[in-house]
Formats: sequence, C-alpha cells, structure tokens
Amino acid sequence: MRSLSEAFTAAVVLLIAGVGAAAEAPSPGAIPVRIEGSPAEGFRLLRAGRPFRIQGVGGHQHLDVLVACGGNTIRTWDVDTLLRETDGVRLIDRAASLGLAVTVGIWLGHERHGFDYGDPQQLQQQRQAVTRAVEALRDHPAVLSWGLGNEMEGPTGSGDSEQIWQEINRLAGLIKSRDRAHPVMTVVANINPAKVAAIQQHAPLVDILGVNAYAGATGVGQQLRQLGWQKPYCITEYGLPGPWETEQTAWHAPVEPTSRQKAGMYNAATREILADPACLGGYAFLWGQKQEATASWFGMFLPTGEKTITVDAVTDAWTDRWPDDRAPVLRDVEMPLAGKRLAAGTTLRVVARSTDPEGEPLSYAWEVRRESSDRKTGGDAEQSPEVVPGCIVSADDRGVATVRLPREPGSYRLFVTVRDGHGSGNIDNWPFQVGSGSR
Amino acid sequence: MNRRAVVSRCVGMGRAFCVLLVAVAVAMPAVRAEEDFGDFSSATLTAKAWGAVGAGKLDTALVFTGKCRELYMEKALEQQASLDGFASDEEAPMLWALNDVGTCLFIEGQVYEQQKDSKKALAAYEQLASKLGYAQCWDPKGWFWKPAEAANKKLKELEFDAKLE
Repeated sequence: MRSLSEAFTAAVVLLIAGVGAAAEAPSPGAIPVRIEGSPAEGFRLLRAGRPFRIQGVGGHQHLDVLVACGGNTIRTWDVDTLLRETDGVRLIDRAASLGLAVTVGIWLGHERHGFDYGDPQQLQQQRQAVTRAVEALRDHPAVLSWGLGNEMEGPTGSGDSEQIWQEINRLAGLIKSRDRAHPVMTVVANINPAKVAAIQQHAPLVDILGVNAYAGATGVGQQLRQLGWQKPYCITEYGLPGPWETEQTAWHAPVEPTSRQKAGMYNAATREILADPACLGGYAFLWGQKQEATASWFGMFLPTGEKTITVDAVTDAWTDRWPDDRAPVLRDVEMPLAGKRLAAGTTLRVVARSTDPEGEPLSYAWEVRRESSDRKTGGDAEQSPEVVPGCIVSADDRGVATVRLPREPGSYRLFVTVRDGHGSGNIDNWPFQVGSGSR
Repeated sequence: MNRRAVVSRCVGMGRAFCVLLVAVAVAMPAVRAEEDFGDFSSATLTAKAWGAVGAGKLDTALVFTGKCRELYMEKALEQQASLDGFASDEEAPMLWALNDVGTCLFIEGQVYEQQKDSKKALAAYEQLASKLGYAQCWDPKGWFWKPAEAANKKLKELEFDAKLE
C-alpha cells in the first residue's frame, strides 16, 4: 500500500508541477544526464550517454588545479556563485571551458535562520527563486545535476519534518517540469532512520540523495541499504571528522588531525566512496579555505592559496598518481604544549619538521591564536581569532621554534604553516591552555 | 567513567557509533580494569576494552581484547564460517562471539594506532577484515555498525600513509 500511495503522491505532485506533456525537452545546449541501474546491481550516471563517476569537490576556486588533479565536478551551495563574473567570465562558463561538470546548488531556507516552511508567502518566494535558477542554467552544458538545498532539515535533530520534505518534493517536481535533462539531488546532514524514511515517504521525486558526512562517510552506503533506500546516493561533503565528532581537550577544544592524518582520511574516504556501486561519487570538502573551528580544519588549500597534502591525497585516489608538485609531508613532531595547561609566559621548544618529496627547501611560519570563540553549527560563517603577538621567540628553517606562551590566561592554538615555494604547503595546529599556574 | 573521553576516542568511527560507546561507558562500573574480567563474557570484555580506551588506559584495553580473543576467537571463526553474508537484524545478535571478537580486533587496531605502532595496527585490521568480515555491532541510531568495513577504511589510511614514507 505504501508504494501505491507514494506513486499516487508522486503523480499528483508532477501534475501540480506541470510535468508530463508540458515539460520542456532538453535544449541543444544542455548535456543530458540520466541515471541507470538498480539497488541490486548499483547505479551510474550517464552524461551524454557515457558513464560518469563524480570525482568532485565542494568549492569554486582553484579550478585549474582540480583539472590537473583528475577532478571532474564541482558542487556549489547557491546559484549566484555560478553566475558571478571574474575577469568577465562567469564561474559556470569557466568550469565548462575547463571540462568540469557542475552540480548546481540551489540554496533553500533553513528554519534555524528564520525560514518558516509553514509560511505560504516564504514558500512561494522560494519556489520562484528555484524556478529562476533552473531557467537560468538548465541549458548550460556544464550542468550535471541540481543540488536542491543543503542541510535544510537541520544539521542536528531527526530531520524528519513532513512539512520540509513535502516542500522538497514539490520543488523537485518544479525543477522536473522545467528541465528533464538533469537529475535532482537533495543534500542532507548525515542520515538516520527517521530522516531516510521521511524522504522516501514525502519526497519521491528526488532522484539522488546527497549526504554530507565526515567521520561516518564510508558507512553511509551500508546504512542506506539497511534502511531500504532504493535510489543512488552521493557523498556531497566528506574529508575528515568534523570538530563536533573528534577528540577534545579537557577544555573542550577539538583536536584537529595532523595534515598527514588528514591525507590518509581523504584518500581512504575517496577510494571507499568510488568503490561503492550504489554511490555516484563524492565531493571532497573544502576545495578552498574557511574558518570552521580553526582556519585549517576543512580547507584543502592554505589561506594564501597553496594546495595541501589533502589535495595530493584525493589526486592519488582519483588517478593513482601524484600531482606534478607534491606538498610537504609532516615527519617529526615534538609538541610539549599539545593538549596541556601551562603557566603563562612559559618558554618551550617545539618541533614540527616536514620534508618535501621533490627536495625543495621549505619555509616555516609559526603563530599563536586564541581558541575560536565564534563557533557555529552547520558550517555557518565564523570569525577567525586574531594572532597573539610576541609569542614566537625564534624559528629556523628546519621546523624548530621557541615559543613563549601568552601572558593572559585562556585557550590558544599554536599553528605552523610550511610552504615549498612552488604552490604547495601544509598547516597544522595544536591546542593548549594558559593558566595562572601549571598543572 | 569519563564520558567525554570515550567519545573522544571515536575518531573515524562516526558520530552514530560514538553514541553506542557512550552508552557502554556510562553503563560500566568503575573497575581496576587490568585485573577484573567480570563474568568473562565476550560482551563484558568488549565493553571493558572500550571503557579502558576511553579512560586512556591503552595497555589495559589490550588485556581485555586479548582475553576476548583467547576465549572466543575459535567460536567467532566458527560463526563467521557459517555465514555467506551479513546476518539479518534479527539473527545478528545471536552471533555474539563474531561480533565481540571482531569489535575487539578493531579496538586493538585503534590502540596500536594511538601507540604509533602501525605494524600491529595493520595486523589487527587485516585480521578483522580477512577473517571476521561479517561481524556487526548494533548502533542505537538504527543500524548495525560493521567493524570490518571500518577496518578496511583504516587499512586504506595506513596504506596511504606508508606511501608517504
């Protein structure tokens, strides 16, 4: 009965949305994309009739590097980013010129930001925005799929709101009524049984489930199978465990994996994602840089633009080869302050030595910053804490530094950035706390 | 028992599984772990091993996992051999030896990683992946966690790390 009811719901929504005879055929500019397969045999995308495995990233910068590394797709979170011009060229046109496909993110309102899925006026405005987005880009040859929303069910909680998923279904129908050439994906923050059941029941027009998952990324496929998910999925954000799911210090500062540990995590996750027949591929996060807990947690590039070892790691997983210029590799760490509470003004010798695979000379830059006090959820924008002046007493070009701890009690991090001078580098950090006395 | 410490050891295992570990840790009495095997059941030994990891007593954790392997590996291999795929949700809890010994091998891998002993970590993960691939562990979020899958990911991480040398 349930499947009959779902089919009926789907038919009604499609009729409301105008899908059917009135739906528009793919335009000559669009590259048609379709899904083939089954839960038993697995799924794959066919783009212009040819199999297409998503070797993707979340982000819109460093596209030339992405191509050189074997990536084939970018994912954005909104449409405006794709329409914005740099040097007179829209991002989506630049992606196309480089041969990259684009999962077009269409931003949908979040209740935690004040959007009300029970407010007809807000819903109507959102539907109009979705329509404009689809009509603006449906004919573009770079479009691979529509990314309908991002974690709009909320990054925490059960995420099984009937109201939200029925609206997602309506929007999916709206897209399909205007574009039959590209599948519709919706993107959620992790999964749980109630969320998956709600999507299956209330949003049958969604073609692909996109899951943002970090520590648990490689378990998503198996979990979806256990929960009876019958369609393909993507891992729409992955990399390393997030600050909310990793080891913490006694003062609740998340301990960031080292750049070298991150590399293993990105490589393994990418390989596992590509190995699951039900998974259409993944989008490593973040092809760029952002402040989220720290300035380095998710960024695969330094704030100054150099690629890190995580880029090399996904390159290896995608292509079984290294990039032309590899990032430095962290070798020896002696960090007596890591995770410790120490007396103000203490002076310590610290070591974070890296080597460069090409033997290039490395430069080291050390700095102490306060622990972030601007922590948000769901990836919302955060302010980066200021550098604490006067903490680096000396530093050499072999990864050795003398650090004088701040005078003011509080929580801090010591960062070291290493660069090879040829476009590659790494950043690592260790949290510590300064008290009035040592413990 | 330090709940936060237990959660903190869950790196790479997923938020959902951490919930399970916290539940285990909360349920555990405070013990002199290295001496007390409780009722010697595989479930007790596994729970005590997780608890020891959470408390940062890595060598103690290995005592519990070692005892679990010693007592129940044979039964675990027997249960694994009886399967040609993952057991159903209903049948999985009956495969207690397979599930607990498999989990213990994963714990051993985690401990050896924390002790910077990649060789032993690899050995533990390899044994789990190759011999006890159908082990499962119930996650209160609503599915079975599969230690061998987690081990396979760990193996890939360690293999990649070896390529960096």
